[in-house]
Amino acid sequence: MAMKKKRYALVVDSRKCINCKACAVACKAENEVPVGRFRNWINEARQGEYPKLRIDFEPEQCHHCEHPSCARVCPTGATWVRKDGIVLVDYDDCIGCRYCMVACPYEARYFHEESGTVHKCTLCSHRIDGGELPACVATCPSKVRVFGDLEDSSSRIHELLATRRYRLKEPQTGNGPQLYYLL
Amino acid sequence: MHELNWGLLIVVYLFLGGLSAGLFFAAGLANYLEVDGQPAYPRVARMGALLAPWPVALGSALLILDLGNWYRFYKLFTHFRWESPMSIGSYLLTFFTGIAFLYAYAWLPEAWRQQLFAKVPATWARVHRLNVDLSAHTKLIAMIGFPFAIGVGIYTGVLLGAVSARPFWNTNLVAQMFLFSALSSGAAALLLAMVLDRREPIQTHETKFLITLDIVFIVLELFIILPYLIHGQLSVLAVKQALWLILGGPYTVVFWVFFMGFGLLTPLAIEVYELAPSLLKGHAFHGDRKLALVASSLVLCGGFLLRYIFVYAGQLSSFHKMGSLH
Repeated sequence: MAMKKKRYALVVDSRKCINCKACAVACKAENEVPVGRFRNWINEARQGEYPKLRIDFEPEQCHHCEHPSCARVCPTGATWVRKDGIVLVDYDDCIGCRYCMVACPYEARYFHEESGTVHKCTLCSHRIDGGELPACVATCPSKVRVFGDLEDSSSRIHELLATRRYRLKEPQTGNGPQLYYLL
Repeated sequence: MHELNWGLLIVVYLFLGGLSAGLFFAAGLANYLEVDGQPAYPRVARMGALLAPWPVALGSALLILDLGNWYRFYKLFTHFRWESPMSIGSYLLTFFTGIAFLYAYAWLPEAWRQQLFAKVPATWARVHRLNVDLSAHTKLIAMIGFPFAIGVGIYTGVLLGAVSARPFWNTNLVAQMFLFSALSSGAAALLLAMVLDRREPIQTHETKFLITLDIVFIVLELFIILPYLIHGQLSVLAVKQALWLILGGPYTVVFWVFFMGFGLLTPLAIEVYELAPSLLKGHAFHGDRKLALVASSLVLCGGFLLRYIFVYAGQLSSFHKMGSLH
């Protein structure tokens, strides 16, 4: 029997985010991200003056775009899109030209000094393949992040996207971002 | 948290690559021009041909050194990705550098060539078999090289212009801007080299040819830059905000004063001042050495600054921070 097509994605309910940064810490520990570099982070947006004031937290990382500009510009094909939609870097083919970093609209990539290659969020593909959740999802105490397969109509993220309103960041770049922010 | 991923090495490379393309173009053009069946500018053609391969060779070396893993540069040639301007560019660059060296070799004076091969051990027969006179084929090599030279000139712009995430670059004008800037830099570098060559002082008709060529390219460049600014201002918010970088933002002074003022309009004014009397009133062309020196140096500085501004300002522009209303 042929395997069913998969399309992994993250849904982010950013209103639940309390900016504890456990996701960033978990990611750094899981993926051995160097000091000063991040594969995921939380944007803060302040509005207004005390006492009328609000602050929004918005977790962000690689959007694992459907038409990723990083993969398009890569001269060696080191950045590639896995069948399940995860955008990955083949570190053996990466020559460290950093064209992908320039081309990413979300600045989701960083240069790994030690290896001379470019790294980014892998959606913890090594954990997913073993049936686990990405580290950021597993650790989030306020359940901001929902990971799942968009093609699976019984999945939680399928249900969320079918029933809730959501937005995508900078879809006008044509990258087809797959990080869904619930409204 | 924004960092500049591409720095000065890339600026220098883009400049040198364009410079070689421009040198090759000007030299090849000079090779084709004849008066009464005689070559009109043989010394310009030779000087350009001998200079053309070096900047791009140095630039490519810098480009390789800028890689995170420089020794992996060969992987550029074990893959071909037509969607990636860098992939196409690395092949273009290689072919162009090869042709430019071949062209320089074809223009090498007989005596120099013999000197060169005298240094090769006599037992290396295979190398000595390369000691052939290609001077009869310079026009053919130039013709083959033209598309590659133009390609390299355009490619340096496309490399930036193809990045849809950077509104400062992502217009259909950057490629032409870089091409004309490259051609202008090439003509100016050739003028500078000929003026500085004291053994064989530059002749008036050669100065006139190179100055005319440079005026044409600068004017073309100017007519790309103006629509770039005007269209940008009339474009969507993200592009408008990206243009703010040179219209009030951190790169305003370097763009308007140093690039537009000293790097483009001043040399244009000097060159027009030199050419206009002979063009409009039929006076003899004087070709002042010092003015040619100043104008050509300024054009080269301008060409470098254009790339500097585009590489740096372009990386600061993004949809991420710009183009959103909150």
